[in-house]
Amino acid sequence: MTAASIKFAFRNLRQGLSGFRIFLACIALGVTAIVGVDSLARALTDGLASEGRTLLGADLVVSRMHRPADASERALINSKGRTTEIISLRGMARTTKAAALVDLKVVDQTYPLLAPPVFDPALSLASIMDEKDGIFGVAADAALFARLGVKTGDRIALGDATVELRAVLVNEPDRIGAGLTLGPRVIMSRAAFAKTGLLKPESLIRFSYRLLLDDPRDDRLAEIDVALTPALSEAGFELRGRKNVSPQLTRNIERFSQYLGLIGLTALIIGGLGVANAVIAYLDRRRKTMAIFKAIGASGSMIFQIAFLEIMVLAALGTGIGLVLGASLPYLVSLLASNLLPFPIAPHLYPDRLALGALYGILTAATFALPILGRAHDLPVAILFRDDLANDQAKVKRRYQVMTAIVGLALVGIVILAAREKLITVFVLLGMAAAFFLLRGVAFLIMRWARQVPRPHRTELRLAMGNIYRRGTITPALTLALGLGVTLLVAISATQNNLVQLVSSGLPDKAPSFFFVDIPARDLPAFDEFMKLKQPETRVSHVPMVRGRITEVKSVRAEAVIAEENARWVLDGDRGITFSSTVPEGSRIVSGEWWSETYDGPPLVSLEADIAKGLNLAIGDMITVNILGRSIQAKIANLRRVDWQSLGINFVLVFSPNTFKGAPVSYLATLTDESGSQNLEREAQLLVDTAQAFPAVSAIRVREALESVRTMIDQLAVAIRGVAGITILASILVLSGAVGASQRRRIRDAVILKTLGASRFRLLTAFLAEFAMISLAASFFGLIAGLLAAWAIVAFAFRTAFTWPIGDPLATAALAVVFAIGLGLIGTWRVLDEKPARHLRAP
Amino acid sequence: MTNEVKAVEVKALHIELGRDASRVHVLNGIDLSITQGEAVGLVGPSGSGKSTLLMAMAGLEQAGSGHIIIAGQNIEAMSEDELARFRGRHIGIVFQSFHLIETMTALENVAVPLELAGHSDPYTRAKHELEAVGLKDRLSHHPSELSGGEQQRVAIARALAPDPTLLLADEPTGNLDEANGATIVDLLFNLRQERNMTLILVTHDLRLAARCDRTIHLNSGKIIAKDR
Repeated sequence: MTAASIKFAFRNLRQGLSGFRIFLACIALGVTAIVGVDSLARALTDGLASEGRTLLGADLVVSRMHRPADASERALINSKGRTTEIISLRGMARTTKAAALVDLKVVDQTYPLLAPPVFDPALSLASIMDEKDGIFGVAADAALFARLGVKTGDRIALGDATVELRAVLVNEPDRIGAGLTLGPRVIMSRAAFAKTGLLKPESLIRFSYRLLLDDPRDDRLAEIDVALTPALSEAGFELRGRKNVSPQLTRNIERFSQYLGLIGLTALIIGGLGVANAVIAYLDRRRKTMAIFKAIGASGSMIFQIAFLEIMVLAALGTGIGLVLGASLPYLVSLLASNLLPFPIAPHLYPDRLALGALYGILTAATFALPILGRAHDLPVAILFRDDLANDQAKVKRRYQVMTAIVGLALVGIVILAAREKLITVFVLLGMAAAFFLLRGVAFLIMRWARQVPRPHRTELRLAMGNIYRRGTITPALTLALGLGVTLLVAISATQNNLVQLVSSGLPDKAPSFFFVDIPARDLPAFDEFMKLKQPETRVSHVPMVRGRITEVKSVRAEAVIAEENARWVLDGDRGITFSSTVPEGSRIVSGEWWSETYDGPPLVSLEADIAKGLNLAIGDMITVNILGRSIQAKIANLRRVDWQSLGINFVLVFSPNTFKGAPVSYLATLTDESGSQNLEREAQLLVDTAQAFPAVSAIRVREALESVRTMIDQLAVAIRGVAGITILASILVLSGAVGASQRRRIRDAVILKTLGASRFRLLTAFLAEFAMISLAASFFGLIAGLLAAWAIVAFAFRTAFTWPIGDPLATAALAVVFAIGLGLIGTWRVLDEKPARHLRAP
Repeated sequence: MTNEVKAVEVKALHIELGRDASRVHVLNGIDLSITQGEAVGLVGPSGSGKSTLLMAMAGLEQAGSGHIIIAGQNIEAMSEDELARFRGRHIGIVFQSFHLIETMTALENVAVPLELAGHSDPYTRAKHELEAVGLKDRLSHHPSELSGGEQQRVAIARALAPDPTLLLADEPTGNLDEANGATIVDLLFNLRQERNMTLILVTHDLRLAARCDRTIHLNSGKIIAKDR
C-alpha cells in the first residue's frame, strides 16, 4: 500500500457515505448479532459467577444424596467456617381436594448464612417456622397456593405432618444454587420435617452443608476446596464453589449462545451479499474516475489499492457500529429486562469478544469485496472513449483470487477455532456453503430458463423475462438473499414444530401419565394393589432406583475426565441408577452381552452407548460410582441404545442386581393408561388419592412436565427467532440494495416504454411478474432446503422421527414471496412516476 | 385561410426547469403551428430549448403555461397514462441515443408499441417495418449485436410501426458517423414522404434542417426566425 494510494483513497472518501448505507447496515447488523449474543451470554455467565456467593448462599456447598454427613465429616466441614445444613427432597403437599408436587427445603437455625428469603407478609423465617398450637408453619411459592387453592393461614398435609401456610415465599436468593426444581418450593424447619416421616434411608434426599468462609478470598476458597475434596469426594459428596454455581446452566447458556451465534453468522454472510452488491455499484460509479487515473499514470495495482482501502475503511466503520450496538445489548437487557431473568446479569465490555466480532466483520467484507475489487485492476482506459466497453467485466487476476481464498479460509478457520462445538459449526458452515452454491445454481437455472424459453407475446412478460437474465439483473442477489432467508425461517419453524409435537401430541400412544418417585420397597405391593383398584385399566411398571455419582472413570477422577459436550453432564452430579436382571424395556444392546439372571460375580454395569462414546469408554473399562456412601467399582459389560421418547423408565447406568444386594432402595413407577385415553379430571383425582394413601410418594404428572418443556422450547424459540430476525433483516437489506441498484436500468426501460405507449399499470405488471418469478423459485428452494435442514437437525441431533410439517413452512415461503414482491414493487414505485424527459435527452 | 389540417399547435408555451436559484426559463412563450405532412427542422445553439420543445410536444415535458394541441387534442389536459396511450397511437419518437430495450431483439423492440396499442398482428407488422429499414436479416439480434446505424434504423422502424401521424426526431444522427448519418436521414425523409407524416426534427446541422419544408430557429427559449 503506497502513501499515494492512501492519500487518494481518503480523498475519495470525502465524498461521503452516499451509496454505502446498505453496505454499512449489512456489516453492522451481522456484527451486532454475533457480538450481541456473545456479550449477552458472557454477561449472564459472569452474573452467575459474580453473584455466585449469593446464589449459592455460601462460599462452598458440600452435598450428598441419601445419607447425611457423619460426625467426622461434619467436623471436617465445620472446621473451615460457619455452616448450615439443608435437606432437600421432593414431596407431595395435599389438601382433601388437591395435591401437588413440591420441592421441600428443610433448614436449621443457622440458615441463612447470607441473604435471607423474602416473605409476604414480611415475617422472620423463625416466626414462620415456629410451632404454634402444635402446628408448625411453612412458607411456600405462590404457585402452590394457586395449585391447591389455599391461602395464607390454611393447613396442608406434607407426608404424615400437617403444617400451616404462614407466608408466601416471594424471593429465594439461593434458589439457582439449589438446582432444578420441579414443583413449588416449600421451606420448613427440621422439627417440622421430622414430623413428616419422609426421612427414610432409601428416600431421594439430598443433604447439603453450606460453608461460609471467614476469609472469603479466592485463594483461600481454592485452598479449602483442595483440602476437602479428596476425603469428601471419596465419600460420595459433591463439592460446588461459588465460582461454579450451576455448571449445567452455564454450559447450557454457552451452548445455546453458540447456536444463536451461528445464526448471527448467517446474518453476516447474507450481509456479505449486500457488501458484494454495494461494491459492484461502487465500481460502476467510479469506473470512469479509475480510468482517468489510469490514463494519467496510475497502475492497476494502485487502482486496486485505492478501491480496497476505501472499502475496508467503510467496512471498519460498519464493524465499529456493529461492535457498539452488540456490546450495548447486555447493558440494555440489564436496564430493561433484568427483572424477567431468573438469574443476575453482569454486563461488561468483553475485549476478546469484540476483537472476534471485529475480525468477523472485516474478514466477511474483505471476502465478498475482494473478487469484485480485483476487476478494477484491469479496467480498460478505453471506456473513456467507448462506453460500450464499460460493461465488459475484466477477468480477475489470479493474485486477487488467491487473496480472496486466503481471507475466506481465515474467516472459516477463525469461526471454527472460536467455536466450542466444532463439529456442529463445521456442519453449519458446510450447510451454508452448500445452500450458497445451490442458490447460485438456482439463479443460473432461472436465468437460463428465462433466456431459452419461447418468448411470450405479452410485452410485460417479455420485459419481465428479459430483466431476469439481463446484465446487472437482480436475479442472483434476490435468489440468494430470499433463498437463504426462507431456508433459515423454514428450518427454525419446522424444527420447533417437530419438537413441540414431540413433547405434546407426538407422544407415543401409551406414554405414561404419571411418574411416582420414592415408593418404599415395603409399600410396593400395596401401591400396586391401590393402583389396580383405583385405575383398573392402567398398567403400572416399576424399577428400583437409587441416586449415585460417578466418581472415577478408568481410574481418573470424574472432575479430571475429558468428556465430549454431550456426555459431560453425566459427571456433573448425582444420577438415577438402577439394577436389572434383564434388558430394560425400551433399550437394546448394541455391543457386549447382558448378564445372566443368576449372575453373582463382581459388579457389572450397562452404559448408554452415546454417553460411553462421549466419555471414551468401551466394554471392559471400569467406572467407580458412589452410592449410598459406598464406592462401587464396576466393569462395563455392555452398551445400550435407549429409546428415551417412549417416556418409559430408563437409566444411563444399569447395574447387575447383585451390586445392590441388601441396600435400601426405593422404587420408581410409571402409570400408563392402556386405553390410551386421557382424562384430566381422573388424573387430578388420582393425584389426590395417591398423595393421601402414600404420603411419602411423590407424583410427577407427565403432562405438566411436558408442558414445562414445551414452554421452555417456546421461550428458546423466541430467542432464536430474535436472532433469526436480524438475519431476515440482513436479507431485506440485500433485497433492497439489489432493487435499488437496478433502479437506473428500470427507469430507463420504464421511460422508453412510456414513450411507446405503456401505462403505469402495464409497467407495474412487468415488474410484478419479474419479482414473482424469481421469488417463487427462490422461496421454493428455501422451502425444500429449510425442511431438509430441519429434518437433519431432528433426525440426527434429536434422533427422532421427523414429521413433515406443511402449513407453517408453506405459509413462510408464501409470505416471503409476497414480501419480496411487495418490497420490489415499493422499490420500483418511484420508477413509475419518473418523468421521462430527463432520461431521454441526449447525454 | 387554407383548409390545411393542423398537426401541431403550440400556444404561448412557457416551461421552467430546475428549482429555486437554479430555476431556468427554458421556453419563453412559444407559438407554433405545423400542418399535417409538413417537415419542420428545429435548430439553435445548445440550451436554446429545442429539445425541450420537442419533449413538450411528445407530452414528455410538462408545460408551465400555454397549450399544446396535437391531432386536435390538448395534451396538457391528459393524465400520464392517457398521454402514454396517446403517444402510442399518434406519435413516433426517434432519439439520438436510440433508446432500445436491451433485453429484446430488434423484432421485439419494434413490436412493443404495436402490442401496447393492442395491434392484432404486431410481429408481422414489426417484421415489415424492419424490412422497410433494411434490417430483414437482423430480426433476432439484440441491440448489443447491432451497429449504431443499425440500432437507429431499428429505432426508426419502432417509431413508425404504429403508423403515427407525427414523427419527432431528436438529433437522430448525433451518435452516428457521416455515412451512417446520411443513410438514416435519407431513410427518415423517404419514409415520412411515403406515409405523409408530419416530421419535427431537432438538429444542430443546418444542412439537414434545410431538407425540411420549414426551419424554426430558437434561442434562449424563443423563436427568433422561421425560414421557408
